[in-house]
Amino acid sequence: MKPASTFSFDLNKEWQLISQDAWLKALLFWLPIALAFILWAIFSVGIARNLAIGVVDLDNSVMSRGLTRHYDASPSLLVTKHFSSVKQAKIAFRNGSIYGLVIIPFELEKNTVLGKSPQVTVFYNSQYILIGKLINAAVVQAHGTYIAKIETFKYLVNTHGQVDQAIGEALPISSQVTPLFNSNNHYGQFLVSAAIPAVWQILIIATVVLAFGAYQRGSTRGNELLAMNGRNMLVKLIPYVVIFWLQGMLFNSVFYGVMNWPMHGSWLLLVFAQLLFVIACVSVATLFFFITFDVTRAMSLVAGFAAPAFAFMGVTFPTSDMPWLAHFWRNLLPSSHYIEIQVQQVNYGVALVYSSGHYLVLIVFMSCFYFSILLINKRKSALLRQSKNTDALTAIGVNNDMD
Amino acid sequence: MTWTKLFKSELNAILTNIPLMVTVFAGVIFYSFLYPLPYSQQTPQQQKIAVINLDQSQLSRTLERMVDATPQIKITEQVRNINAAKFLVIRGEIQGFLLIPHNFYRDLLLEKSPHLTLTGNASYFLVYGTIIEGLARSIGTLSAQVKVTRMVVKGDNIVLAASQYAPIKLNMKPTFNASVGYLNYVVPAVFVLILHQTLLIAMGLLTAGQFENKIKNSPENEKVLKNSYWLQYPVWKIVLVRTLLMLAIYLFLSFYYFGYSFESYGISRLATIPDLLSLMFPFLLSVIFLGMTLGLLIPRKELVTLIVILSSLPLVFSAGFIWPTSNIPLAINVVAQFFPSTSAITGFLRLNQMGDSIESLVHIRQQLWLLTILYAMLTMLLMSNKQQKVTAVK
Repeated sequence: MKPASTFSFDLNKEWQLISQDAWLKALLFWLPIALAFILWAIFSVGIARNLAIGVVDLDNSVMSRGLTRHYDASPSLLVTKHFSSVKQAKIAFRNGSIYGLVIIPFELEKNTVLGKSPQVTVFYNSQYILIGKLINAAVVQAHGTYIAKIETFKYLVNTHGQVDQAIGEALPISSQVTPLFNSNNHYGQFLVSAAIPAVWQILIIATVVLAFGAYQRGSTRGNELLAMNGRNMLVKLIPYVVIFWLQGMLFNSVFYGVMNWPMHGSWLLLVFAQLLFVIACVSVATLFFFITFDVTRAMSLVAGFAAPAFAFMGVTFPTSDMPWLAHFWRNLLPSSHYIEIQVQQVNYGVALVYSSGHYLVLIVFMSCFYFSILLINKRKSALLRQSKNTDALTAIGVNNDMD
Repeated sequence: MTWTKLFKSELNAILTNIPLMVTVFAGVIFYSFLYPLPYSQQTPQQQKIAVINLDQSQLSRTLERMVDATPQIKITEQVRNINAAKFLVIRGEIQGFLLIPHNFYRDLLLEKSPHLTLTGNASYFLVYGTIIEGLARSIGTLSAQVKVTRMVVKGDNIVLAASQYAPIKLNMKPTFNASVGYLNYVVPAVFVLILHQTLLIAMGLLTAGQFENKIKNSPENEKVLKNSYWLQYPVWKIVLVRTLLMLAIYLFLSFYYFGYSFESYGISRLATIPDLLSLMFPFLLSVIFLGMTLGLLIPRKELVTLIVILSSLPLVFSAGFIWPTSNIPLAINVVAQFFPSTSAITGFLRLNQMGDSIESLVHIRQQLWLLTILYAMLTMLLMSNKQQKVTAVK
C-alpha cells in the first residue's frame, strides 16, 4: 500500500473538497446557525400577546363597557376595533384583521339585573387553530372573572359581608391548572425545539448527498465513488459526522445553557442521542445517493423523505391519534425517534432504559451503510461486465491503484 | 426557429427531465396523501388521564364519570398520589391527571369552594389543551348543577334556576373551522405551500439545468450549441413559452388540490372558480418567475431542491396562520413578503375558508402581481446575461 491511502490522507482530501466548495462550507458552518436563528426569532416572543379582537356593543351600558375592559385587560387580547353594527364587524372578521368578534346584546345590563341571564356571543377564528384556542381560553377566563366579581358582589349582600362565603357561593368549585414539564407555556421553546431537529435532518442528509455529488463533478471522479470500499466511505464521512454533531452540541449549549431553557435530563444521554441521530441521517443520505447515483435525483428523494418530517414528529399533533400508515412513515424517519429521546431527556429526565428502544432504532439506521456498499458493488460489477470498453476498465484500474 | 418548434422543444425539455417530472407529478400527488395523513382524525380525543380521588364520596365519583364521559378524556388509571401519577406521565401511559382533595363533598356542602387540581403534560400543547378543555368543561357542568340545586333548595323555581346559574352567559363560537379540526387547519395552508415549493423546484431544475454549464469552444461543442434551443431563441420567447406551459400544468394541479383533494378531505371551498382563478394567476406566475430567477442564480441544479426544502419551515411559520404576524419580528415579516407563499396562503385561506370577497383581497392580488413583475424582470435580465456569457466563448 502506498502512503496515499492512509487515514490522514483520506481525511485531508475530504477537507480539501469541503474547503473548495462554498456550498458545502455554507451547509456545514453558517447556514444551520442562520436557520436556527430565524426559527427562534419567529417565535421569540414565546407567548402570543395582544391578539386583535373587535367588539360590537349594542348595549353601551356601564356593565357592557366593564365587560369589554375585562376582555381588553387580558394579556392575550387587545380590543382594536369597536363596531356599530354586526355587518361591519363581519367584514373585518372575514378579512382577518380581527381574530375574534364579541357581540354584546341590547339591554345586557337591564337583563342581568333582572336575573334574565343575557348571552354574550364571541366568534373566534378557528381556521388559525392556535390563535383561536388562545382567544377562546382568554375570553373564557376574562368572562369568568367578571362574572365572579358580579356574583360575589351579589352574594355579599346575602352573606352579610362574609367574603369567603360569598366567593364559595359564586364559585362552588374552584380549580387550579398545572402544566407539567413546560411550566411557562412557552410556545417558542415548544415548537422551535422540534423544528430545529427537522431542519437539521434535511441539512445533514442534503449535505452528505452533495458531498458525494462533488466527486462526480470532475471528469473521472465518478468512478472514484465506485472504487470505494467500506473503510474509504467511513473515512470520507467522518468530517461530516463530527461537524454536525458539534452543531448539535452548539444548539444544546445555546438553548439550554445560554438562554436557560429548562433542561431536566442528562446531557450525556442527549449528546449521545445526537451522535446516533447524525450517523443515522448520514447513512440514510449515503443510501439515497447510491440508489440513484445522481445528485439531483438523490436530492428529490431527500425532498420527499425529509421535507414533511416535522408533521410526523408528533409534537404538534399527538401520535396517539395518528392512523397506522402515519405511524409507519413516522418510524422511517430518524427525526421521529430522536425527538422522543429529546423530549424524554429535556422535559422528563428519564433513565436510559425508558428510551432504549429509540436509541436502538437510531442504531439500526446504520444498516443503510451496508446496503450502500452492496449497491456500489452491484454497479461496479455491472459496469465491468457490460462494457468491454477499455476506458472504463482503466478508469477503475487507475482508481483501484490509488486505493 | 418557429414558435411551434420552440413549443415542441420546450415541452420535450419538460417531459424528459425526470427529476422535474418526479417533483411535479409524483411529488404533488404523493404529498397530497402523505401530508394530511397524521391529521386524518382531526382532533385528539380520548386522551388518557389518571384520577387521584382522595375524597371517595358519591359526588367525587360522579365527577369522575362526568370527566370520563367527555369526548376529550378517558380515565385509565386510579392512583394514590401525585408522584405515582407523574411517573405514569413520564412513562407515556397517561397525559395528565385530576386530583380530587380530601373532604371535597363536605366543603362543597359547606359552600367552602373546594379546590380541584388539573394537570396536563404541557410538552405537547394540543394534548395539554385537550385535557384541560375536557376537565374544565366537566367541572363547569358540575358547578352549574350545584348552583341550580342550591337555588332550588332556597326555593327558586327550577326552570328559572337552571337559566340563571350564570348572570351573563358566554357563547363561544369557533368560526370558519367549526369542528376546530387539525386537518382543516393544516391542509388548506400547506397545500398552497406545496404548490409553491414544487413549482419553484421544477422551474429551477429546468432553468439551472440548461444554463449551468459554459460551452467551451470546440468542434464537438458546436453540436451541443445547435441542440441547445435555449441559446438560440430570444430570451423573451423562451420565457413566454416556458411560463405558459408550466402555468397550464400547475393550473391543472391546483384544481386537483383545491377541487378533488379538498373535496375528499371535506375541507370547505367557499370561493367561486373565477375568484379562485383571479388569485391563482398572479400566484402561479410570480412563483414561476421566482423559480426561474432562482435557477439562474445558482451554479448547479441540485441546489434548487436544497434551497427550497430548507426554506419550507421558515416560510410556513412566518406565513401568519400558525403564529400571529403581529408577534413576529418586523424584519422577518418584511423578508417573508418577497415570497409569493406568504400573501398567497393568507389570500387563499380568506377566499376559500373564511368566505372573504375577492374585492377585499385587492392588496394581496396587487402584491402578487408586483412580485410577478419583479421576478419576470429579473428572469429576463439574468437569462440574457447567461445566454451571452455561455455563447460568448464561441
